[in-house]
Amino acid sequence: MYSTQFTDHLANPRNTGELPGANAVADEKNPVCGDRIRLSLIVSDDTIQSARYLAYGCPPTLVCGSVLTELITGKSIDEARKLTRADLVNAIGGLPTRKQHAAALAIETLNAALRVVS
Amino acid sequence: MGRALTETYGNPSSVHGFGQQARAAVDRARREVAALVGAKQNEIVFTSGGTEANNLAIRGICEASTAHGRHIVTSKIEHPSVRGVCDVLEKRGWEVTRLPVYENGIVRVDDLRAALRDDTVLVTLMWANNEIGTIQPVREAGELVRERRSAGRRHLWFHTDAVQAAGRVAVNVDEVGCDLLSMSAHKMYAPKGIGALYVRRGVRLSVQNVGGHQERERRAGTENVPAIVAFGEAARLAREEMNQRVAHDSALRDLFERRVRETIGDVVMNGDRERRLSHLSNISFRFIEGEGLLINLDLEGVAVSTGSACSSGTLEPSPVIRALGVSDEVARGSIRFSFGKDNTEADVDYVVEVLSRAVERLRALSPLTLAT
Repeated sequence: MYSTQFTDHLANPRNTGELPGANAVADEKNPVCGDRIRLSLIVSDDTIQSARYLAYGCPPTLVCGSVLTELITGKSIDEARKLTRADLVNAIGGLPTRKQHAAALAIETLNAALRVVS
Repeated sequence: MGRALTETYGNPSSVHGFGQQARAAVDRARREVAALVGAKQNEIVFTSGGTEANNLAIRGICEASTAHGRHIVTSKIEHPSVRGVCDVLEKRGWEVTRLPVYENGIVRVDDLRAALRDDTVLVTLMWANNEIGTIQPVREAGELVRERRSAGRRHLWFHTDAVQAAGRVAVNVDEVGCDLLSMSAHKMYAPKGIGALYVRRGVRLSVQNVGGHQERERRAGTENVPAIVAFGEAARLAREEMNQRVAHDSALRDLFERRVRETIGDVVMNGDRERRLSHLSNISFRFIEGEGLLINLDLEGVAVSTGSACSSGTLEPSPVIRALGVSDEVARGSIRFSFGKDNTEADVDYVVEVLSRAVERLRALSPLTLAT
């Protein structure tokens, strides 16, 4: 059902927890299903230096948070803003249609955090 | 079952020797399934499983009883195959009263008594719940229906979905006084795709499958002989080994629950502690979601189930756990663990070990723990 990347991130989530000294934090919830992602960033010199996340919800939500932190670390704010749901789904190795909402929540959380920076 | 796939390959409806051998095998199996629930052989209708048995029972009795009323009494914690049929009938003009359960996951007889009306034609109440295992007051429900019938309500019937109970606890259709009782073979280690409906002699159903004389005109279609034979054998073993299986399963289940309480904090044990099946344990793990835990356990080779599942961004926490009056978060974190005859204490040790690791990992990831 899920890709190797998916199960790897599920068993070994990257960059978890709160980020001390974060200067951009967003905590978004899917009001329909209750899934939640909290993203903390340290942004300096127009670049995401560090990212950590917390997540509550179905496995795709947990994995999307983990993959997202890897995708955005080291990226400029503009590059991060251009990141789409499809980019995230591709990086995970695909998601079933009924689970695409997890990627949407992750991208919404990223955009909310980036709005705090700007 | 192997013989039924090869040697006894005839069609039980055929009059030739091969067919009659298959007929004899089906009849033997029917006797065993009947014996499991204290029924007569000709009161057993083989179906494709519990879902079809529930459909045949509820649709069959309601459609045959329209002249006498259009009111059904059921509970809020029925299996989807009962819930679904009641929903469909409701859309077609039947009225459905869904009895609540309380913190213990058990329907109250007083609520049932109060729900019965002059136009009630069917009470459908599960014997034991499939998620939390709680045993419902089916004996009292049967007694109540019999009382009403004696008082003149001749067209009031009682159906019980005993898919979880048959083969796990002593089931006797006369002691309970049910008119219809559903069973499923795979709950007692037979293959998937076979079940049965007990139909008390004299109860008339509106037939759902037509086009053949099989099952005494109550369910048309060539019999699934190998599966029926396996069901018969499984029913015999379940009857003969019931006491030792119950003792084995409950010992493992109790050990598991004790170890979970000792090892993992913030857990909620769902459903009544006493009036429940011996092989089921339903536990909510606070601050995490059941599906995430399920997949984590699956990666370690442990198969469990959760009543909550999300799709298209719409999460429906298990209606059964929600009916206990718990929060959405507790309902979302519920997991059902089932124990069977082949499980061992070493399995319990392993499950507790991987479970505590998975819970710890998911809680470390959960923003819900921030506020606590």
